[in-house]
Amino acid sequence: MTIEQKQAVYFQHVSKVYNTGTVALHHFDFPVKEGEFVSFLGPSGCGKSTALRMVAGLGSPTSGEVSVFGRPPEELIKYTNDIAFVFQDANLLPWRSVLDNVLLPLELRGGSKKEKRETAKRVLEMVGLKDHLSSYPRQLSGGMRMRVSIARALAAKPKLLLMDEPFAALDEITRQTLQMELLDIWKREKMTVLFVTHNVYEAVFLSSKIAVMSARPGRLSSVIDVNLPYPRELSMRTDPAFSKYVEIASASLESHESRKETV
Amino acid sequence: MAMPEMEMTKQQNALTAAARRKRPFASTFKELYLGPIIAFILFLTLWQTIPLALGLPHYILPKPTDVWEATIADWTLLSEAIRITIFESVIGFLLSAVIGIGVSVLLASSKILERSIYPYAIILQTIPVVAVAPIVVIWFGAGFNSIVVISFLIGFFPVISNTLMGLNSVDKNMDELFTLYNASKWQRMWKLRIPAAMPYIMTGLKISCTLSIVGAIVGEYVAGIGGGNGGLGYAITVAAIQVKTSFLFSCGIAAAILGISFYLIVSLFSKMLLGSWHESAMKSEK
Repeated sequence: MTIEQKQAVYFQHVSKVYNTGTVALHHFDFPVKEGEFVSFLGPSGCGKSTALRMVAGLGSPTSGEVSVFGRPPEELIKYTNDIAFVFQDANLLPWRSVLDNVLLPLELRGGSKKEKRETAKRVLEMVGLKDHLSSYPRQLSGGMRMRVSIARALAAKPKLLLMDEPFAALDEITRQTLQMELLDIWKREKMTVLFVTHNVYEAVFLSSKIAVMSARPGRLSSVIDVNLPYPRELSMRTDPAFSKYVEIASASLESHESRKETV
Repeated sequence: MAMPEMEMTKQQNALTAAARRKRPFASTFKELYLGPIIAFILFLTLWQTIPLALGLPHYILPKPTDVWEATIADWTLLSEAIRITIFESVIGFLLSAVIGIGVSVLLASSKILERSIYPYAIILQTIPVVAVAPIVVIWFGAGFNSIVVISFLIGFFPVISNTLMGLNSVDKNMDELFTLYNASKWQRMWKLRIPAAMPYIMTGLKISCTLSIVGAIVGEYVAGIGGGNGGLGYAITVAAIQVKTSFLFSCGIAAAILGISFYLIVSLFSKMLLGSWHESAMKSEK
């Protein structure tokens, strides 16, 4: 597509230094266009989660600027439902049923009760949980909990979905199913997705673009455009083109690691 | 990650439940209840025979049969005393629960307030209530009011310290979730902090409910008045003066049973409230 796409997220020379002196992110420049599925791929300590959290307004850069749809993230969180965040563990409230967990963001924002319930049921149906509305989180498997978490994020109709290693704790089969469903939802809801992972296969399978990051200090090491067609099927994983991208991404990760060792 | 552990306990629960179902009643009885029952009978027998063997008079160490006789003989006195003590300690407990939780929520809603007042709450907690009881009597007069206040004072601090701990124990990720949805301070309090604190609050209430009985009895020691309005504590002081040792045993046992019943009721209430989600209240499901 050559049509000028609007910018969803823009990291402008962003650095983050923690009080402990750790440089989590160093001169990070990166644009995310609207409608893209972008993965931050990197080893632990590369600042990928830090970057994602800044987009959600959870922590601000030490220097530089993060803007989301042209506005500071704190402002978006205050006045809009544009940003949703999916945590690594499902992060559900254990005292609330599945339906009530999904209702939470809607409750906090206000609005008509009936409409809210309709919305919550709609998103729960989308993730295949319409038969578990009154279950409690502890009665669900890890995969189902993550589905609830995704449904909760979708409930407020976000334009930007941020996901912090959401599938890292799941088994491979559940992970693959959820990856497929996530791609479906992404296409249907026409969102922008920013996805943090340390799994090369996951990054290639999901993303339209991968930002490979390296650690100590955390920074962008390369950007890979994944020109594989959507919708993507599970069979694509054996495709030579898929392997090629996995290779490129792995090489990009490794080159940085080895370079550091020689220094 | 607590999840795999929870899966484990779920499995274990299911396994033990299955095992329990298979076992006939007789063997369950043998394993679980036979031991304690034999120990109890043995204890009673020893208690009955030792005073006989050593020739101890009933006013030094009464036999179980003496205690039983004294209980029957003075049943009207005892039952009335129990009724009054229950009434006083229930009111004292309810006050410490309501005021304790209320004050904690208020303190937790403002960091400045909590930081400036909480240290004093801790210091106050260390003052033995028995030491301040006479002051309470001077302020509230002898009788019911003072006893309730003492019972309240003794049960109040466990509620406060547990509730505050619970309100501040909110998981960081959940807290951030509320930040992301721009939750107001009170939305955060009602929808996150108080529900998250529930298990802690319940622990506080369990401690405070047995203490409230201690408080009521101590209160009756110092502020008890007769005329048919004295509770267990008052009955104990009177019986002690008259060296009615057997009746003293009856009162002691009654107080113990009262404490245990109170605890069981609050535990049951806590289980009902937390049953749907909290691990400590979790039993095998479905």
